[in-house]
Amino acid sequence: MDLLFSLLINGLMLGSLYAMISVGLTLIFGITKVINFAHGEFMMIGMMLTYIITTYLGIHPYLTLVFVVPLLFLLGIVVQKYLIEPLKDSDEHIQIFATVGLSIAMINLVLMLAGSNNFNTPASGLRETLGLGAATVLTGQIVIMLCSICMVVGLHLFLSKTQMGRAIRATAQNRNAAQLMGINVSRINMVTFGIGIACVGIAAVLLSPLYPVNAQTGQSFVLIAFVIVVMGGLGSIAGAFYAALIIGLVDAFAGFYLGSSLKDVAVFGIFLLVLIFRPSGLFGKARKLAHVS
Amino acid sequence: MNNKTAALTSVRDSGGVMQRLLNNKLLLFITLASLMVIPIMVGDDYVYHIFITICLFAGLSTAWNIVGGYAGQLSLGHAIYYGIGAYTGMLMLNAGVSPWISMFVGAVLAAGVAVAISYPCFKLHGPFYALASIAFLEVFHVISLNWVGLTGGANGVMVPLELGWSTMIFSERLPSLVIVFGLMLFVLAVSWVIRRSKLGFQLVATRERESAARGAAIRTVHVRLYAAAISAGLTAMLGTFHGSYLTYIEPESAFNLTFSIQIVLFALVGGLGTVFGPLYGTILLVPITELARGWLGSSAIGLHGFVYGVVLVLVVLFMPDGIMSIFQRYLPSSKGRRVAARDERSTHHAHLNDVKKPERPPVGEVVLKVKHLDKHFGGLHVTNDVSFDLHKGEVLGIIGPNGAGKTTVFNMISGFLSADSGSVEVLDENGHFISPKTPGAFARSGVGRTFQIVQPFAAMTVEENIMVGAFYRFSSVEESRKVAREIAHELGLSRFLDEEARNLPIGGLKRLEVARVMAMRPRILLLDEVMAGINPADLREAIELIKVIRDSGISIIAIEHVMQAVMELSDRVIVISSGEILAQGEPEEVVKNEAVIEAYLGKEVTDASTE
Repeated sequence: MDLLFSLLINGLMLGSLYAMISVGLTLIFGITKVINFAHGEFMMIGMMLTYIITTYLGIHPYLTLVFVVPLLFLLGIVVQKYLIEPLKDSDEHIQIFATVGLSIAMINLVLMLAGSNNFNTPASGLRETLGLGAATVLTGQIVIMLCSICMVVGLHLFLSKTQMGRAIRATAQNRNAAQLMGINVSRINMVTFGIGIACVGIAAVLLSPLYPVNAQTGQSFVLIAFVIVVMGGLGSIAGAFYAALIIGLVDAFAGFYLGSSLKDVAVFGIFLLVLIFRPSGLFGKARKLAHVS
Repeated sequence: MNNKTAALTSVRDSGGVMQRLLNNKLLLFITLASLMVIPIMVGDDYVYHIFITICLFAGLSTAWNIVGGYAGQLSLGHAIYYGIGAYTGMLMLNAGVSPWISMFVGAVLAAGVAVAISYPCFKLHGPFYALASIAFLEVFHVISLNWVGLTGGANGVMVPLELGWSTMIFSERLPSLVIVFGLMLFVLAVSWVIRRSKLGFQLVATRERESAARGAAIRTVHVRLYAAAISAGLTAMLGTFHGSYLTYIEPESAFNLTFSIQIVLFALVGGLGTVFGPLYGTILLVPITELARGWLGSSAIGLHGFVYGVVLVLVVLFMPDGIMSIFQRYLPSSKGRRVAARDERSTHHAHLNDVKKPERPPVGEVVLKVKHLDKHFGGLHVTNDVSFDLHKGEVLGIIGPNGAGKTTVFNMISGFLSADSGSVEVLDENGHFISPKTPGAFARSGVGRTFQIVQPFAAMTVEENIMVGAFYRFSSVEESRKVAREIAHELGLSRFLDEEARNLPIGGLKRLEVARVMAMRPRILLLDEVMAGINPADLREAIELIKVIRDSGISIIAIEHVMQAVMELSDRVIVISSGEILAQGEPEEVVKNEAVIEAYLGKEVTDASTE
């Protein structure tokens, strides 16, 4: 029983981490209809920045949010404006190649500059263990869990209550009609891409004290993020959150019962089943049809 | 909607000058020969290695292009097949079997895996297919890491260094180059043959417009599976070679995502879907990065990956159709054939008028029975108990207000929708009534249709579009081409033969729809608003054309809004309103029917007309 509880808590912790990484990805897909294969690399860049700023200025890692989030927001805007926007009328697979190319270039640029070393951001007390019944968690994980909930709720409020949020949702549902209503769609796309990347920037900062970073770090997380985003129904933020918790639990339980090396087979197996039998996601509804037609 | 352009499909003898030059046997011969001659002349091991790498990737890329380019299935998991080939070769070599044999074992295994993977994934498109292929690759990666008993896990597999042709392991580089060069030629030849064969046309048609392809009786799933199997088999053969060349294989390098992406990158840079694009793309890129690595040495970790990434981004931004299209842009296209076509066009009108029209045969027996069709979309009852018969040689007009459910009925009598209840029976060639279920089955039973919203294979030329229909009857490309030209001539499309379908005006596209379905020589022809949006002069021609088709004994059902055409052509008219048959009978009778006028124009108008 204790073991199950402990696995459950660990799974939820892992799930909320995955959720933080995935919401930006799903937001970007929902609005721009582009799958950002470079999403993990933006996170890796965010973690690298956190490491550099923390060690250089000697400040608490969380304080780097002030630098990292705006920087990644701008980076997102630049990428959208100069890479994705010019390809908006191109074939789907041309868009895939664009972000795949960006991802390869970013990984290898970091490899060239920093080699394949691991960089450890100072823990600053965030790796203290806390007893939670039978389970033990790190303080940093608790922060991640709380922040991921705040992020999902915050994004939801932003999208449903603000004028900008409504414009973003309108663009997601029908780009042409939104344009006719006077919405500047390319600006919306830029802002959305920026926000999506800023979200993964927040994840990067919170993650840095707990995980070492190297040039390949993004790749190991982004595959999981794809799984989550497709499972949650591409473009659905709430769906991504639930799917992230599910995958976190699968990860924790499969990691324990199958071994850490085989747990990926469970995760990707589930992914393939979802793709093949429910391509609109576990929670996907008619919403996707609006995109198709 | 697929937006691939010129380079994708027009690699044919009729393309641009440079295209011809690139396909020109001389240039190709020089390129291929230099892949052998240069390293032999230089004689340096490192240069050999570069050229072996070029041949390997050119082969892999060309093999990928069969499924990724022709069929448009963007696989980012092709390293699976490479890995299967490599592991099969290594393991069997350790068991004393020569790679020359295990190569084929690996190919068969990989083809089987490809079919197993592709079958459930065939309905996934674009990014979803790409994601699925990555996931499969990841699964293979993890399995190969963990199935230690078979693969040696992370330690990989080594082979004893027994030199010789039977093990494909050599102390010198030349024999390896000879083998991989031969393999590359083989892959190129297969790709070349496929592109020019019926299968190639069917793959491109499926990629461009799946529903239209199904309407043309193409087994869209089958052709993609063939492509996937062939592509995987060829990839595995190259994998087996490469295993022997490296004498060592491990999961990290065998089932590697970056490796998969590189294969795709070369094809993209050269020109997706072109026969020789992947070859030229590889020749351009591999030396640059390999030489850079040579000059900068090991300090340049990540450099070649960085170059690939940047090249990929630049290519999609500035030349998404690859090298093959760049040359074409700066050179005038061949004019000769188009002028000839125009001459043909001027005689065409004469042709239509001069031809002595055959006597119209009498309307014959029932060829299509539609019984009690019912269909709901959610709460909407779109088709309510629709029944009618169609006779041989008859023209049945279907009219009705917008949204009445006419096209839904069409979709049910061509297999694109299945009815909730009711049946559709078609008289087959042997005189039996059968109930086909799928678009392909309807097409094979002799029912051909056009689409209201035209569905051309956009990146194919007009001639190729029509050939796709003709392939239903002919296997030979030449015969299909001949038939396609005849039909294009009949339908006044001759001057557009070499034009890509995307460039046609709407009237031309409507005619192309008819041409494509006529090429299948259907016995029952379903025309969905072919007259809409064409100008009055063309309308006259179109009406005459349909009469000619009718007089050749083909039964026609036409949904039409252009009343001139309905009145002149139809033997009978069915009026559908709100999913029900409101009235039927002779055209003159039906248009005077009050219920019909009311359905079209509203109650007040009926009152006004009776007063």
